[in-house]
Amino acid sequence: MMLSLDPGVHSKKTRAGIPADDIAMRCRVRLARNLADERFPDWATEHDRERVFGKVREALHAEAPGFRVESVAAFEEQDRDVLFESHLISKDLLERAAGGGVAYAPDSSICVMINEEDHLRIQGFSAGLDMLGAWQAADALDTRLERHLDYAWTPKLGYLTACPSNVGTGLRASGMLHLLGLRLVGEIESVVRGLERMRLLVRGIGGEGSEAAGQIYQISNMDSLGSDEAAIVRRVTRICAEVVQQEYNARARLIQESPMVLLDCLARSLSVLQNARLLATVEALEFLSAMRLGASLRLFTRLKVADVDKLILLMQPGHLQKGMGTALTSDERDERRSEFLRRKMASVRLKC
Amino acid sequence: MKCEMCHKAEAETAIRKGVEADAQELYVCQACARKAARRDAAAGTQAPVPQSGSDGMPPAPLMGMILDAAFEIVGRAISLSEPSCPVCGILRDEYRKRSRLGCPACYAAFAKELDTAVFELHRATQHVGKTPEKAKAAWQRQQLENALNDAVQGQRYEEAIALRDQLKKLAEQEGRQGEAV
Repeated sequence: MMLSLDPGVHSKKTRAGIPADDIAMRCRVRLARNLADERFPDWATEHDRERVFGKVREALHAEAPGFRVESVAAFEEQDRDVLFESHLISKDLLERAAGGGVAYAPDSSICVMINEEDHLRIQGFSAGLDMLGAWQAADALDTRLERHLDYAWTPKLGYLTACPSNVGTGLRASGMLHLLGLRLVGEIESVVRGLERMRLLVRGIGGEGSEAAGQIYQISNMDSLGSDEAAIVRRVTRICAEVVQQEYNARARLIQESPMVLLDCLARSLSVLQNARLLATVEALEFLSAMRLGASLRLFTRLKVADVDKLILLMQPGHLQKGMGTALTSDERDERRSEFLRRKMASVRLKC
Repeated sequence: MKCEMCHKAEAETAIRKGVEADAQELYVCQACARKAARRDAAAGTQAPVPQSGSDGMPPAPLMGMILDAAFEIVGRAISLSEPSCPVCGILRDEYRKRSRLGCPACYAAFAKELDTAVFELHRATQHVGKTPEKAKAAWQRQQLENALNDAVQGQRYEEAIALRDQLKKLAEQEGRQGEAV
């Protein structure tokens, strides 16, 4: 059987002319900053952290008046999970007791984590591979905040951070890529190894230590010292764009050489989502990942990539419970998740 | 490679045998490394420290391995029990276990180890990139103040006067910048 689809046919171009499409889901640039006369959060007392939170809040009120600035403890548990699932805050910050805080712009394009591993982690977010845009936004806020805060910095090591792996620019640029095609042609391991040889970090969707559930990878720079910010951002963008191209090629090969492997993967995933009665988060993510690939290749009726991305977010524990308006046990969540996805997938059909 | 002491098990770690110029590096298994450590401890000489796995702990992750390597090189000259960052008070050993520094001053307190660790982590030793003006001025001021103290204590008064003038100039510049903001 031959499918007559071009895997690149639906691609859009970013401002920089890089084929970003829906393989590059989003990107993030974060800047780690610390105050000169304060202990790093892991070694600080609750009182120390509260004081740092107060200083940062004051600076944010002066320089970013539209931002919502909150202590993490002020959020209900479900809302904290929602922030985590939306990639605004990390697991570490979620678990931080006193002094942990978060500040974000109304459109969530910039978020500052307060008292995570470092006193401030200023994060800029952007669609596709527009890391330059994400960095410029984070950098502008950083420059404004510095008017009010005394940063720890030396000419030799740059910005001083709690872990020496972040000194220098304190910058980590990461692209979130959906690489199921490379997985299906059996090349993902060699791509990951190649990236690691180029001194890039490759992680799963949840950040440090997490598996690449749903074949969604975060690719970021390992070195933050020795190159300037623009050079780091350009390099990570360029390499992510190369990986996107490899994913395109893998999808093209799948369509031309093993269409049945692809169709079987899509059909099975759709069947499970339309019929399962219990679905755990990671399991659902694996099937939705296949649906995302199918939607990207326009192989499903009534399903777009943006729809799948929304489902990937809404089916996670925090969002699910928020949507249901009630706290649920793990088993209850699996049941409700399967109901929710069955409903959403009911009218979806495979075209071939 | 087989252990150079028992010649049976696979070698997993390096220890130093003998003292100073006569010291010899041996590649040994964990069991022999522990025996050597006990023997050296009993003899009052510095014990070689097997870096991982010897206490039933899982092998250290990459970060820990890099820090361990840096400590192994520098730690031979400096006792591990030696405290500490003068500002936050964390011990070298505590920092080593958690791979997190206590405060910005730790970078100066543990400079020797960190120089090695930073190079291993980044393949670079010099910051290139953004320079925050306020922090740069604070750093310059600190350097001048330290030099001024040294000059006064050493009774090098001409040098001290020159340093004091530089400090004044810096304060004036900062004042002007502050007004501009």
